[in-house]
Amino acid sequence: MTQVAFSLFLVATLSVPLVTLMSHRWTKARALPPILLMGSLAVGIAVAAAGFYGGQKFVVDVSQVASFSFALSVDRLSAFFLLLICSVSLPVILFSSSYIPRHYSGARRHWLWVLLPLFLMSMVLVATASTPFAFLFGWELMTLFSAGLILIDGDSEQRRHNIFVYLLMMHAGAAAVIGAFLLFLPHAGNFAEMRASAAAMPPSLRTAVFLLAFVGFGTKAGIVPLHLWLPRAHPIAPSPVSALMSGVMLKTAIYGFVRFAFDFLGGGPSWWGYLVLLAGCVSGLLGVLYAIAEHDLKRLLAYHSVENIGIIYLGLGAALVFTANHAPLWAALALAAALLHCLNHAIFKSLLFLGAGAISDAAHTLDLEELGGLQKRMRVTGAVFLIACCSIVGLPLFNGFVSEWLTFRSFLAGSEMTSLSAAIILPLAAGVLALIGGLAAACFAKVYGVAFLGRPRSREAESANEVSLPMQAGMGALATACVVIGVFPGLVLRSMGKLTEELLPGVALPQAATSLSGVLPGIALFVLVLVAAIAALKRTKKLTATWACGLPGLNERMQYTSTAFSKPLRKVFSQVYKSDRTVEVVPGGPPYFPVSISYRSVRTTSFEKSLYRPGVDAIVAAAHRLRQLQTGNIQIYLLYIFAALIALLVFMRFV
Amino acid sequence: MGLFETAAAKALASSGVFLFMTVLLIAAAKRTSTCIGLFSVQSLVITAQIVAASRMHHLAEGFVIAAMVLTVKVVAIPYALYRIVEELKAPRDVSSSTSSSQSVFIAAGLILLSFFAVRPYIGVLGGDQAMLAASVALVLTGGFLMISRKKALMQVVGLLVLDNGIFLAALTTTFGMPLVIEIGIVFDLLMGVFLMGLFVFRIRDTFNHVDVSKLRRLRG
Amino acid sequence: MKLAINTVQILLLLLLAPLVRGVIARLKARIQNRHGASVWRPYADLLKLFRKEDLVPDSASFVFRLAPIVLFTSTLVAAAFVPLLHGSALLDATGDFVLLVYLLALGRFFLMLGAMDGGSSFGGMGASREALVSTLAEAPFLLALVSVAIAARSNSIAGMVRWTLVQDFFQFSAVHALAFAALALVAIAETGRVPVDNPTTHLELTMIHEAMVLEYSGPSLALIEWASAIKLTVIMALLIALFVPWGAASSLSAMAIGIASLVLLVKIAALVLTLALVESSVAKLRMYLVPDFLGVASALAILAVVFTALMR
Repeated sequence: MTQVAFSLFLVATLSVPLVTLMSHRWTKARALPPILLMGSLAVGIAVAAAGFYGGQKFVVDVSQVASFSFALSVDRLSAFFLLLICSVSLPVILFSSSYIPRHYSGARRHWLWVLLPLFLMSMVLVATASTPFAFLFGWELMTLFSAGLILIDGDSEQRRHNIFVYLLMMHAGAAAVIGAFLLFLPHAGNFAEMRASAAAMPPSLRTAVFLLAFVGFGTKAGIVPLHLWLPRAHPIAPSPVSALMSGVMLKTAIYGFVRFAFDFLGGGPSWWGYLVLLAGCVSGLLGVLYAIAEHDLKRLLAYHSVENIGIIYLGLGAALVFTANHAPLWAALALAAALLHCLNHAIFKSLLFLGAGAISDAAHTLDLEELGGLQKRMRVTGAVFLIACCSIVGLPLFNGFVSEWLTFRSFLAGSEMTSLSAAIILPLAAGVLALIGGLAAACFAKVYGVAFLGRPRSREAESANEVSLPMQAGMGALATACVVIGVFPGLVLRSMGKLTEELLPGVALPQAATSLSGVLPGIALFVLVLVAAIAALKRTKKLTATWACGLPGLNERMQYTSTAFSKPLRKVFSQVYKSDRTVEVVPGGPPYFPVSISYRSVRTTSFEKSLYRPGVDAIVAAAHRLRQLQTGNIQIYLLYIFAALIALLVFMRFV
Repeated sequence: MGLFETAAAKALASSGVFLFMTVLLIAAAKRTSTCIGLFSVQSLVITAQIVAASRMHHLAEGFVIAAMVLTVKVVAIPYALYRIVEELKAPRDVSSSTSSSQSVFIAAGLILLSFFAVRPYIGVLGGDQAMLAASVALVLTGGFLMISRKKALMQVVGLLVLDNGIFLAALTTTFGMPLVIEIGIVFDLLMGVFLMGLFVFRIRDTFNHVDVSKLRRLRG
Repeated sequence: MKLAINTVQILLLLLLAPLVRGVIARLKARIQNRHGASVWRPYADLLKLFRKEDLVPDSASFVFRLAPIVLFTSTLVAAAFVPLLHGSALLDATGDFVLLVYLLALGRFFLMLGAMDGGSSFGGMGASREALVSTLAEAPFLLALVSVAIAARSNSIAGMVRWTLVQDFFQFSAVHALAFAALALVAIAETGRVPVDNPTTHLELTMIHEAMVLEYSGPSLALIEWASAIKLTVIMALLIALFVPWGAASSLSAMAIGIASLVLLVKIAALVLTLALVESSVAKLRMYLVPDFLGVASALAILAVVFTALMR
């Protein structure tokens, strides 16, 4: 039954582009593509839920019909990611059904509705593939379709450069992933074969596979220093596409990494875990530090994706360390924490990007310095954005807290390991996670406070209006999910335990994981009652002007801007932000009253300056030198061929 | 008496903790007088150790050494240094090349280093791990103080802490050196401090400051 | 019976908190050779504020009035995690220290938002400075609690207290000494006392917490003041419970509870005296020296965690 439903889901999603192409003349059928897509996504959710909660497995095998090995199979891990993809995409598509007609028209709108389902299909393909061919097919398609979606939004010189960097880094990552698959030859027919043959691989080959998978999937996920494409590509995409890219596409990279490290290779020596932990720490810290310094909302959110991927990698690293130390119980907990954070991040990050889309729809700008006071004008958008901010900061009663708590719990268990390095490094990683959480709180207090609270800082912000109902509904659905998972985490954790049992055979989740689901609903009820009681008590309020210690003539420019809010933190962490500052003063008559002062601060991230630029320069220099081989003289070319022939003969003779 | 005995015995067993705390606090301290006071506390802890070890090994001369250390290192030298600080009338802060938190991080690193350094020697030499590690940590911290603090008086304090470390190491491993040598060392130290005190005034009168990082006339 | 005592614990914290503040202020005044206000002054302030009306800036949204409520509620729930009189608290079984720290962070987050909703420069200034201090204080706070949790092999505060109760008072452990030093420094930062922040200043440029509440009045201000008093008492109670819990009742008889209450009062009095002495003898740090201060706390907390592994 679920097999049929799965096939129906695939067919329905693939039909949406066709329907769009066929119906682009009829204005009445404009609403058809989104409705059809949402319907097929609903089917997808049902199918994935059956797979994740019910444990059913199903297969769609084309290789029996066609001549190339293309098969899809859904086990619990794939079902989880399929559920993630479909359940996050549904509200996003609901949002886009109103957003896209307002911002795009004509051919661009049609291409959006053609490419969006194809993009979703490619991600589904990656998550459910059971042969390397299908996996890589979907992998490349993801990159291409997302680049196409970005291109629809405009193709200025700057945008094309950013898309170029995006495609370049994605292909480099894909090359590493292909390499990882190739190392399994000749047993690389399908995943089951690979799993069986991995046990017999020598340790050096396993290490090579792990490193290639780490680099390849890490590029896609966006760990530092392979993250350069993230802040270039995510901000320039249309908001729903950014939501899908940041919320869902990055998770497919996590899926790939988990498949390789846990399913095929089954864990490895503990230095693998420490490497992943290091990547997680660095990404988490640098991601949030760069985010604090941003005032373009989408770039800020893109850097926060880097940070949350870092947190996920912290959980994965801990799981690898635990498997290496023969503690599968705690490895299961760490893995469950990482996977749950995937789901939570998908939900609240998409919500944040949709909120950014709503803001740009209402106020036509995404620069935090121009916003302000939006909460009073856009009540629903503001409320759901607040919920998303609380979730991403990891405050209790929202979903971000649950996965962070589980990660903390697994770090604490590191102290029980006999290995000294695990007992020291894992609890210290808890400190790093705490620092990341604190920085995220500071950053989102800034974002919500500057954009939604206080007074509007520009004309556009003053005239912002609430967005249309489908957009509100889409965001509202995601916000409800945040709160529900935050208060009742048991809904997901129980089946998560069965998932980790499949990957790390033989252990269920430790008692610690489920204890939280006992206490959170109680606390939530208590908090709700108390808040309601107090709110009911204080009824009288009187509206006055802002007091500000009696300062006269207070205007909106006197409020703290986003740059001002983050200044103390940027000053403390100034080693990270080496910015070039220029101050120009045009002097007037008396020395303290110049005619004008202009201040310019340009920040290039240190990775570009110190890591990438020298590398690029070295490659270009080497290429220049190699050019001398290309003389254009035909006799030299004949000489090359002849020399190769002689070398071959010598090689054969003496080896 | 029995309760006092057991309490004292247990407190002495964990006196390594006190020494580590003084190491960290000396690194974090911002005033010269705080450092001198912490050195005095360190010497007091070491005196207590000497008394306990003398009772355990029933050595009478141990008490003599304890009395000597008490008078010289806990009372006389810190008092002399306090007087010098008062007379100098220089700013009281410890001019340091590293900030307070950087110094504490370095001191914490030195403590961990000393733990790892004494690991192979625990069974071989006598004495327990914490006290051995504390002595190495004191030596290293004394050296760190001499390197990072620019005031001439802090060089003296660094040297005193270093000597405390060596003394403690000798104490834990072999229960001290012969009495004559102990007396000799302590008086050498006393003389050294008085001479240094005199020199500090000469430096101040000649150069008008006591910042050793500025004394570079010997440059080649 | 246990439930009743645990509820009494929370009510005790709730009602005693303003008194603690009053006593600290009176002691500081005496040390500084002033007469000082009566120790019951904070209660009078709260009553006065509750009877007034809330003045709300016209540009503010619902977050402005919601923030004090969330702050008060989260601090009160956090108070339910700390055992005072005997080795358990209202939410002790799964009330673990991560939840405690993050509940306090929830309150602080909403207070920062409420400050920015006022629409004045001082609110933003207070929020920005509070962001700096709380960001840097969170890591040593958690790490110090992690080290005590590892030593006690338990995640809940009550579990840690029960473990410490059966330890020997004179067996000083390096982990506990370091964790106590780190937590003492963090406590000063979290509760906003000198040398990190001066709670009685009226110069806006020196304010951190006070700047955030400049726009508040009436019942909202009363809730915020009460919440900050509760937070001070909770953190003091945490320090006492984790590091010197001896004297707490081991059985639930009236005699044991009575003795435990007296011992608790003595301990809180000692802490209050220490705090008053420290506040009167140390100058407030320049704002950009506060990261240095918290860096010392971080170093101590990191060392505490490393020692849990070394001293096994």
